[in-house]
Amino acid sequence: MRHRGRLLDVLDRAENGPLIDEKEFEGRLVAQTAKRLIGKHGLKCNAETVIPADDAQADRLFEAGLEFAVEVGMLCTNTLRRIVWTRQEYEESLRYAPHEAILGAGADAAFVQSRMPEASTRLMVVGGPFGVGVPENLFVPLMLSYARESLIDVIDNPTLERVYGRPGKAASPWEVLGGWREAELSMQVVAQAGRPGMCIAGVELSPTALGEISASSWGGFRPTDLHHVAGVSEFKTNYESLSKIAHVTRIGGAIYAFMASIYGGYMGGAEGVALGLTAAGIVLNQNYMPTVMSLSSVHPFLQCTTTRELLWAFSMASQALSRNTRLIFSSLVRPSAGPGTKGVLYENAAFGVMGTVSGQSFIQSSMTASGTHARHASGLDARMSAEASLAALGMSREEANQLVLRILEVYEPWVEMRDVGQPFEEVYDLLTISPTPSWQATYDEVKEHLIRLGLALPAAC
Amino acid sequence: MSEHGELQGEFVELFLSGDSEAASARARQVIDEGVVSAVHFFEGVFSPAMEIIGGKFGRLEIFLPELMDAADMAKGVSENVIQPRLIEATGVGVPTHGTVLLASVRGDLHDIGKNMVALMLQVNGFGVIDMGVDVGSRVILDRAVEVKADIIGLSALMTTSTPYMKEVVDMLKGLGLKDRFAVIVGGAPLTPAFAREIGADAYGKNAPDAVAQCLALMDRPKPAR
Repeated sequence: MRHRGRLLDVLDRAENGPLIDEKEFEGRLVAQTAKRLIGKHGLKCNAETVIPADDAQADRLFEAGLEFAVEVGMLCTNTLRRIVWTRQEYEESLRYAPHEAILGAGADAAFVQSRMPEASTRLMVVGGPFGVGVPENLFVPLMLSYARESLIDVIDNPTLERVYGRPGKAASPWEVLGGWREAELSMQVVAQAGRPGMCIAGVELSPTALGEISASSWGGFRPTDLHHVAGVSEFKTNYESLSKIAHVTRIGGAIYAFMASIYGGYMGGAEGVALGLTAAGIVLNQNYMPTVMSLSSVHPFLQCTTTRELLWAFSMASQALSRNTRLIFSSLVRPSAGPGTKGVLYENAAFGVMGTVSGQSFIQSSMTASGTHARHASGLDARMSAEASLAALGMSREEANQLVLRILEVYEPWVEMRDVGQPFEEVYDLLTISPTPSWQATYDEVKEHLIRLGLALPAAC
Repeated sequence: MSEHGELQGEFVELFLSGDSEAASARARQVIDEGVVSAVHFFEGVFSPAMEIIGGKFGRLEIFLPELMDAADMAKGVSENVIQPRLIEATGVGVPTHGTVLLASVRGDLHDIGKNMVALMLQVNGFGVIDMGVDVGSRVILDRAVEVKADIIGLSALMTTSTPYMKEVVDMLKGLGLKDRFAVIVGGAPLTPAFAREIGADAYGKNAPDAVAQCLALMDRPKPAR
């Protein structure tokens, strides 16, 4: 990627930037800068308008994000140095950041591009359980439920609970073997799905750099796959992540950078999350030099992303970034409800509409049941996000806001109940890899209801 | 409203005001002018006010920065105002519910959830020693012995780090230390069943729940050390 020429600069600054204690960084620098910039730029959440059409506030949010990036930067926790850049350096990098990419290979390659709010260009769809725990024997069937969905362009893996029957222990030889096992099973999935060149996002089983670096070598994950590199909340990185970036850069691989800003955490409430997501886009682009980015948040107690305040924050930050940059980014949906329930479908539909009209470049669906219950994920969860996104292409933000408010009315009372639903093997036939009649009927029923609520989904067969 | 309800409300506001000098001055005035004794101030005003602030965070009426500021201010009031007066009056300092040693286990670099738990425990009257992230099992054990912790709190957000939680519990058992410490585990991928399976004493679903679980653990009869 053309912007990876910065790699040595990033690593140098991680060694030589200003020193700061970690607690001082997050407790004082991050928290106080966020609070001050929210006030300075007059950022204000109105949770009655979950998809705002307030361009002026979106642009003020972007300015606040840029100022935050300059003042705070990113902390390397190994060196306790802040990786800092000037405003001019950030602006230069944003100007020349990749705004389109091809992921995967051959006939299975997928195209993704930056978008604007209300654009009618199609979003790439990344489908998968995004790290939800799965036993080895269910890895292939579960992932086939995504890979066989024609609306899904890229798959994102679950986390193997065991490696050849043993616990996949972080920072140990088991992580190395776990990465390889994940690659081996992933290749089986795309081959069996008839999409051998399909882009696979992993390595999920890589909490340190060991899993990623070993399994993204010859015979494992390919350069055309998406290679995960996560930031640590809030605005922190470390040698593990920087080592992954160094390795993926040298193999010419695509980087999938992640950062989350926890609701109620150091950044504060919805306005702080919106600022955190915006600044994360700018900081990740600068330091991780990604191909695509996942900017996320989560409710600290419900662990989902679909509450009213979070929808506002995601929409506002997406509009800020898409109006002012050409970055390729998305936000991962974490519905509170699980497979087999109506709740997961309403939550994913609302989030898909929000992301699409707010200018996100691709869909990520979904870390179902808040990602806290092993085996609780299925391909149909992601299909709903993809269908909702297609139906929302070109929709105005005002119309989308009214629609999402109607969908919220349906699922909002259920969110706190956290109905995690059923595990994959109870909602899919494991031989045919198709939804059980009951799960399919629930899907069709919700789809019909969403059509009545105003979402122009293709009618159920 | 309890006997000191009005004062509790006043100190909740003071701790959330960001004005640490005003909080210390008012605490000094209330005790020194005999409105309440140092003991009653600690038990009937200070501790309940901090519990109320913890509850506000549990309902997300305030956020982590406000909770951090309140905890810092409360620490100042406790050390500079209450502690010396309690020692003068009773010969002992500010009591705590117990000491909790917190760590994210090996391979886990996530800390915001653990940090929330640490603050919630502090504002609810626990002594907290936070060892940070990616901490090795043996290091956790050695520190727990060194600081005479009552509870070891282990956090993990990654499934791949959960084997290290079991490793800590197994080491405690193997080294004959299990009776000396209660172990509580928490983190997004965990369940109460997992906690039971590895031999932990409790599972904290989130920060407010972790406080409730630690209070319950401290109420259990403990073997002599």
